[in-house]
Parts: sequence; structure tokens; C-alpha cells
Amino acid sequence: MSEQIDHLHDRPDLAPGDEEEVRIGPRLLGYATGLGLSVLLTATSFFIAGTDLVWQPSIPVALVVLAIAQMGVHLVFFLHITTGPDNTNNVMALAFGLLIVFLVVGGSLWIMSHLNHNMMPMDQIMQMER
Amino acid sequence: MLGKLDWSAIPIDEPIPLIAAGVVLFAILAVLIWAGVKGHYPYLWREWITSVDHKRIGVMYILLAMVMLLRGGTDAIMMRAQQTVAYHSNGYLPPEHFNQIFSAHGTIMIFFVGMPFVIGLMNLIVPLQLGVRDVAFPTLNSVGFWLTATGALLINVSLVVGEFARTGWLPFPPLSELTYSPGVGVDYYTWSLEISGIGTLVAGINLVTTVLKLRTRGMTYLRMPMFCWTTLASNLLIIAAFPILTATLAMLILDRYFGFHFFTNEAGGNVMMFMNLIWAWGHPEVYILVLPAFGIFSEVVSTFSSKVLFGYRSMVLATMAICIISFMVWLHHFFTMGAGPDVNAIFGIASMIIAVPTGVKIYNWLFTMFGGRVRFAVPMLWSIGFMVTFIIGGLTGVLLAVPPADFLLHNSLFLVAHFHNVIIGAVLFGAFAGYTYWFPKAFGFRLDEATGKAAFWFTLVGFYVTFMPLYVAGLLGMTRRMQHYDVAAWRPWMIAAGIGTVLLAIGVALQVLQLFVSIRRRDELRDTTGDPWDGRSLEWATSSPPPAFNFAVLPNVTGEDAYWRVKEHARRQDLDKREPDYKDIEMPRNSPTGFVCAFFATVMGFALIWHIWWMVGLGAVGAFATFVVFAWRDHDEYIIPATEVARIDRTNLAARRAALDLAGIAQ
Amino acid sequence: MTETTFAYAQGDPHRLRGIQQAEVAHEGPAPKRIVTAYGFWIFLLSDIVMFSCFFASYAVLLGQTAGGPSGAQLFDLRSTAAETALLLLSSFACGLASIAADVRSARWFQAAMALTCVLGLGFLILEAREFADLVGRGAGPTRSAFLSAFFTLVGCHGLHVSAGVLWLLTMMAQVYAKGFRADILRRMLCFALFWHALDIIWVAIFSVVYLIGSGA
Repeated sequence: MSEQIDHLHDRPDLAPGDEEEVRIGPRLLGYATGLGLSVLLTATSFFIAGTDLVWQPSIPVALVVLAIAQMGVHLVFFLHITTGPDNTNNVMALAFGLLIVFLVVGGSLWIMSHLNHNMMPMDQIMQMER
Repeated sequence: MLGKLDWSAIPIDEPIPLIAAGVVLFAILAVLIWAGVKGHYPYLWREWITSVDHKRIGVMYILLAMVMLLRGGTDAIMMRAQQTVAYHSNGYLPPEHFNQIFSAHGTIMIFFVGMPFVIGLMNLIVPLQLGVRDVAFPTLNSVGFWLTATGALLINVSLVVGEFARTGWLPFPPLSELTYSPGVGVDYYTWSLEISGIGTLVAGINLVTTVLKLRTRGMTYLRMPMFCWTTLASNLLIIAAFPILTATLAMLILDRYFGFHFFTNEAGGNVMMFMNLIWAWGHPEVYILVLPAFGIFSEVVSTFSSKVLFGYRSMVLATMAICIISFMVWLHHFFTMGAGPDVNAIFGIASMIIAVPTGVKIYNWLFTMFGGRVRFAVPMLWSIGFMVTFIIGGLTGVLLAVPPADFLLHNSLFLVAHFHNVIIGAVLFGAFAGYTYWFPKAFGFRLDEATGKAAFWFTLVGFYVTFMPLYVAGLLGMTRRMQHYDVAAWRPWMIAAGIGTVLLAIGVALQVLQLFVSIRRRDELRDTTGDPWDGRSLEWATSSPPPAFNFAVLPNVTGEDAYWRVKEHARRQDLDKREPDYKDIEMPRNSPTGFVCAFFATVMGFALIWHIWWMVGLGAVGAFATFVVFAWRDHDEYIIPATEVARIDRTNLAARRAALDLAGIAQ
Repeated sequence: MTETTFAYAQGDPHRLRGIQQAEVAHEGPAPKRIVTAYGFWIFLLSDIVMFSCFFASYAVLLGQTAGGPSGAQLFDLRSTAAETALLLLSSFACGLASIAADVRSARWFQAAMALTCVLGLGFLILEAREFADLVGRGAGPTRSAFLSAFFTLVGCHGLHVSAGVLWLLTMMAQVYAKGFRADILRRMLCFALFWHALDIIWVAIFSVVYLIGSGA
């Protein structure tokens, strides 16, 4: 069995935050690209929030999409999370965290918006109290 | 100067807590003076208090859990006694005291018995099973333990200074808001849980990193013992769920201290948000406790059946499935609070689905025993007792997961019986099984078998006599947390439960006795080989107790049930008589950081509870300074020279070879 | 047995058949740098879960203004934009500090860290001014559930930034006193992760709290 998998041995892990790249130039360029992209995305967000050029109900959706895109930019260019095999564990942990965040936020909103389902409307309760 | 603190905080007019506190204080003082007279302090400080050895920290966690079990158990006896006598009368406990007792009982049993017990066992065993020398963050490990101890200490201080919460083990607003709970009881609750919660989070991060990043050569994921898998799942849940508890309690604190409006009745606050968030933590918490217990049972059943664990892969899958699904069922704790049928139905179905992987596990244990040569040692008895008891608890749980049934049964004694059924039946039995199973590993001698068996039978019978009547009383309509009652039909069941409590108490007393008897007879019970149960995983491959460095040479694992394979190999062929190539070993240096940090946390917690603001600042600065001092030290490791390693290991190897030779001849 | 090789004997007791072939053979404990950073990475994820609770509360309580001012009446988006710019730049500066630490250039490291610190402090000052302004206008956290949630969420991020600044100063002092030791470099890696993660949370805050909140 060992012969078959020996060639897979050379696959060192990478610490989260560490880059494979070690030369200064490309690393600087990476951070600069990240900064540029996030400035662009931030500016777009602020522009969209204040504009009436787009269909208004789409604005929150657009803002959420832009925010997610920008978080992705930060993860890739600042935190150096990649899809490479040396990053599997880091990405798995991130995915688990995101799942929990999604469940907590989504679940709370969903539950809380349904909790008054079996309640009388407030004005009727007021009337009963009279 | 002292905030809200003055002499009225001491409950002079309440004899029961005062006497109890007096006895405890006297006992503590006696122990402290005894240790001082005997000159144990330098040893304790050097070898235990400042220790960063995962085994020592694990033992201290378990010791904390057992001491707190006595405290929580006393609360339980008082409650059962009250309900036994309080028919048409007020009993012997006034309502405000009764309320504090059931709140303290739940809080202590979950946070300071269940949690430290399982975390202690994981700390003690997981690095050994993974074949490594320590956990990922030894000093943080010590910090985590001492912060947990801080929480426990603060809760016990509330016995004498001030009061404890009267709100139940989860402080539901608006009752827990300042308007309705103006005293310091809820503050004791929130701050001790915030502090010990940080400790738990640290332990969770530490153990997840250990399992994922520190495994010996060849220990791939699918070769890990089951206990390591359940540890991974349980600690993943800790790091995902405990921040929710921290945030939720922080919001309650802001409400109480600064007049925020998260959960108040006025200004738009929403009490349901508290239920929602606290149970988003609370449900995974149940699985944080029970998953390690499942791991313990897997190890015990496999070892004492002398068989490989049946359905290992399905077990791994079931564990991870529970880990994820446990985050999708929390609404079933508040089915009755107004959610519509669609929401209730989905969470009800999810709650039933989570019973499926649990059922898979039960079958796997049964099939592991099937056809095996089962030895009924004490850990195995706890495991079998668990399987029977937990099935009953699980089935009543499935009943409660049906929303219409839940509408009838919620907040009744049926519910109380159900969760005691699963938590005692699984977590406590699991903890006891693990305690008996791994005790020889930690101390080098086995626990006395006869007292252990007696303790098991008293606990098992006592459990059924206590909690089966509670199911009936619940079906008869008795709600939980009643200080007194007037319904004649409930009375016999309360008396029966009272008798059961006596049996349970005898069971616990027998376990204390077992410890004393075993220490006295330790030479007869000595485990010289390091493998007293004919074990299968790597913790049995080193001596009992293991040396500080666990393994003289890190083992190289080539398959599952690593140590079993070694023994098989050794029996069939000649033993490998070559001496391993010993090298110098670097181990982390002991550090008082954890203890000092917890000291400042205690000061800060106490000051926050009593609004003594200057002392809060002092504690915060002290804790930060402790960390800076720790970060500034130049040597965090010491070297154990190769000759010393060789000397220790040779004795171990000799004993082990002798035992294996003997087994080889016998076969 | 403690001989170096735990000899592999017969069979396949867990019926894993080919599965372990697919899995990569395990090389043993990971190096310290990976262990430390991974542990910290997990801590960050748990921290983000904590923030998600505050986000959830904010989202649930967004409409509960109790007759008080709503987000649209309170938020000054220009100030938010300035805070965002400061934090983004400080993240970039922190990246420069990481590079400087990796090439062991103490001078550049201290300069980049000082820049990070100044930008972080600038952010904190703007945020403090905004909070003081809101409280001055009678829109403090005790006014309504919405404002409680707002102050808690944004304030919690602010507390994290403050803690980050404290950590940053400690790092600068440590590098000054002890140089680029391996353990200090590991801490620097963790600090960079922390600082960048705060930026990610800020992205969520300015999008959800300020931009969507001022529209609602």
C-alpha cells in the first residue's frame, strides 16, 4: 500500500495566513491588488446605496452580493486562503464557520419572523383588555 | 468603595446555606492546613497548579467535576426532599431558597460537572490515543482549566456572599431582567458563565487543533480511535456554540448593567430573541456533552468485547452527522412559544432525524458485543446500563419532538425526567465508565472492582426509582420546579422519587468509598504493564502513569486499532528486541500563567458582580500584564536528555515484554 | 510496544478496503507555525460566530425603534466611508508589516506597524465621535432596542479594534526588545489574521448596518 501513496507524501500544509509566494515583489502586488479591488467594491457599495438609478428593491440584494464579494477579496488577498490542497483544512474550518453563521443568522431571522404566527394582532389584544 | 457589597449580603437569617457554607469552608480550611502542615504546597505548586501537562490538567478537570458533582448532588437531594414533604405544606425550604437551589443544580451539573468531566477525559486521553506528547497549546490549556475553576468558585461564593439566580438554569428574560431580579443572583450566573465559557472555548480550540494537526506518523483520520472522532465533533461544537452563549449573556448583561433593551418588555426589546439565541447554543451543548460519552462507550465496548468496533465508518459518519444536525433543531426547545406550524414541523422533523445517527450507534455497539468474548468489568457495566437507559430517554425525546405532544408535555416533570434520562444515562454513565476505564492509565493502579460494581447497581436502580415516577407525575400534569403542591395523586410518585434519590446518593457515596479503598489497596491493584484491560489503542502502549513525554519514541501507525496490532504481531512473531533510537525530548515548561490569570479573572468577576469598578480595572490590568509577562519569557521549553528517556523507557519495555511473552505462551 | 515501527499485520478490521488509499498518508505532527496559526484561525471563526449573534439581533431588532430615530435619520455615511477607508488602509499596512517581518527588516516592520496603529486609532476616534454625537442627540443605546443592537454590534467591533491596537503595540515592543524570534513571528502571523478578519467584519457592518440600515 505504501508504494501507491508515497508520491502523495510531499504535500506540506500551509498555515492560515501564510503565502506560498515568498518573493517581496509579488507579495506586495498581492496586497495592492487586494486593496484596489476592495476600494472598488466599497465605492460601488456606497454609490449604489445612495443612487436612485437602479430599481430600489434590488439595492439590499446588491449590497449583500457586493459585501460577500469583498469578503472573498479579503480572504484571498489578505488572508491568503486558497483552494489549493495545502489549504484544505483551513478551508474546511472556514466552511464550517460559515455554515454556523448562516444557520444562526438565517435561522434566527426565520424563527423570529414566525413567532407571532399564533398571536392575535396587537390591536385586537388591546381591544380585549378594555 | 465596595459597590453594592455590604454586610447584608451575608444571609445571616437563613440557616441552611449558612451552615452548608460553614461546613464547606471548614473542610477547605482543614485541607489547606493539612497540606500546609505536611508541606505539600511546593509540590502542588510545582507539579499541579502550574503544570501544563495535559494529563495533569485532565486529572484536575475531573477532580473539579467530581467535587462539583457532590455540590450539585446535594442540591438535588434537597429538592427531592422538599417535593417529598411539601404536599399541602411549605416543606422546609422557603420558595426563594428553593428557586436558587434548582437554578444552581442545573447550572452546576451542566457547566461544572458535565463539561469539566468530559473535557478532562478528552484532555487526559486524546493526545495519548493520537500518539503525541502534548496538546497543541499546553499553557492555554492550563488557562482554560483555571478559568473554568474560576466560574465554579464564583458560583460557590454566591452561597455565602449574596444569592444565586432564582431564574432556572437558563435565565429567561424578562424574569432575569433588572426589574424582576434586582439582586446579584443573575449577575453571579452571567459572570461565572462568561468566564468559564472562555475557558471552555480555549479547551475546544486546543483539542480541535490537537486532533487535526497533531497526530503521530501514520495516524490518518480513518485510523483514529472513535474517542478522537467524537472529541473532534464535540469540540467543533464548542467553538461554534459557546460564542453564541457568550454573546447572548453579554446582551443580558448590557440590559442589566447599562439599561439596554435587547430583552426588555419596553422600548422594543424582544424576549423571544433570548430564547432563540440561548437554545441555538443550548441544543448543541447537549451534544457537546454526549458525543464524548459516545466515544468512551465505543472504546469500552470494543475493548471489553475483545473485538474491533463494528461499523467504524458508519460510526464516524453518524458522529459528524450529529455534529451538523445538532445545529438545526434548537427550536424544539420552544415549540410552544408561538411559531407557526410550518416552522414547528420542520424543526420537529429535524429533531426526529437526529435520532437516526444515534440509533446507528446503538446498533453498532450491540453488534460489537455480538459474538465477542464480553468481560463484565465495571466500565462495561456502565456501558450496558447506558444502552438500556439511553434508549428509554431517546424514545421519550422522540415523543417530545412531536410538536402536538410537546404542547401537552412541555415544562412538565415528563420533560425533566426525559433530560435527566439522557444526561445521567449517557453523560454521567459515560463519564463514570471513562473514569473507571482510564483511572489506571492516569495513576498506575486500577479502581476496586467490588465497590465499583456496588456503586453501579445502586446508581442504576436509584436512577430508575427516581426518574420513572417523574415521567408518571409529568403525565399526571405536574409541572417542573414546584416548591409545594396540593394534588394527592402526585404524592406517591414524589415519595418514590425521594427513595430513589437515597439510592442514587448511596451510589455516589460508594464511588467515593471506592476511591479510598482503591488508594489503600493500590499495591494489589497496581498496573505494571500499562495495559490492564487488554486495550486496543495507543494510550495503552505506554506505561501507567505515562512519563511526562508520553512516548519515548513517537509511534508509527500502520493501521486501525494500533496497539492491538502490535500485540498480535508480537504474539505471532518474535518480539522486536532492538532498542529504539532515543533522542532528547523538548517539553513545554510549566507556567503559573493560567493560575495567575484565573486569580485576576476571579477578582474581576467578583468586582463586576458587586459593581466595584476600581477592582474591575485592577483585574483587567492584572490579566493583561500576566499575558505580557508570559509572552516575554525567553525559554518556553526544557530538554529531557536522551539518557533519561532511555532509562524511563527501558523499565516500561521490560514490563511490557514480560506481559506479552506471558500472553504468547498462554495462547 | 515502543519500537519505531508499529508493524502492520493482517487484514482490514474496519472493512475500509480502499479508503485509506485515497487518504494521504499522515506525516506526523505539524510544525508549530501551522499549529499555532490554525488554532488562531479556529478562534477567529468562533469570534465570527459571536459577531453573527449580534448581527442576528440587529437584523431582528432593526424595526424596533420604539418611536425613536431610525437608521436613516441617524447615520452619516460620509463618516462611515472615512472609517472604511482608514480600516482598509490599515489592513494594507498590516500586510506590509507581515512582509517586513518575514524578511526580518526591523525598521520597515516598525514603520508599517506604526502606520497600522495610527490608521486604527483614526478609525477608533471617528467611531467614538460618531457614538458621542448619537448619544448627544438623545439616540443612545438605551433609547430603543434598535439602538441597543446597533451600539452593541458596532461597539463590539470597536472593542476588537482597541484590543488589536493594544496587541499591536505589544508586538512592536516585543520585536524591538527581542527581535524576530520564531515565537514572535508566529504571534505576528496571528495578529495579521486578526487584523484582516476585523476588516472582513467591518465590511459586513458597513454593508448591513450602515448602507442597508440607512435605506430601511
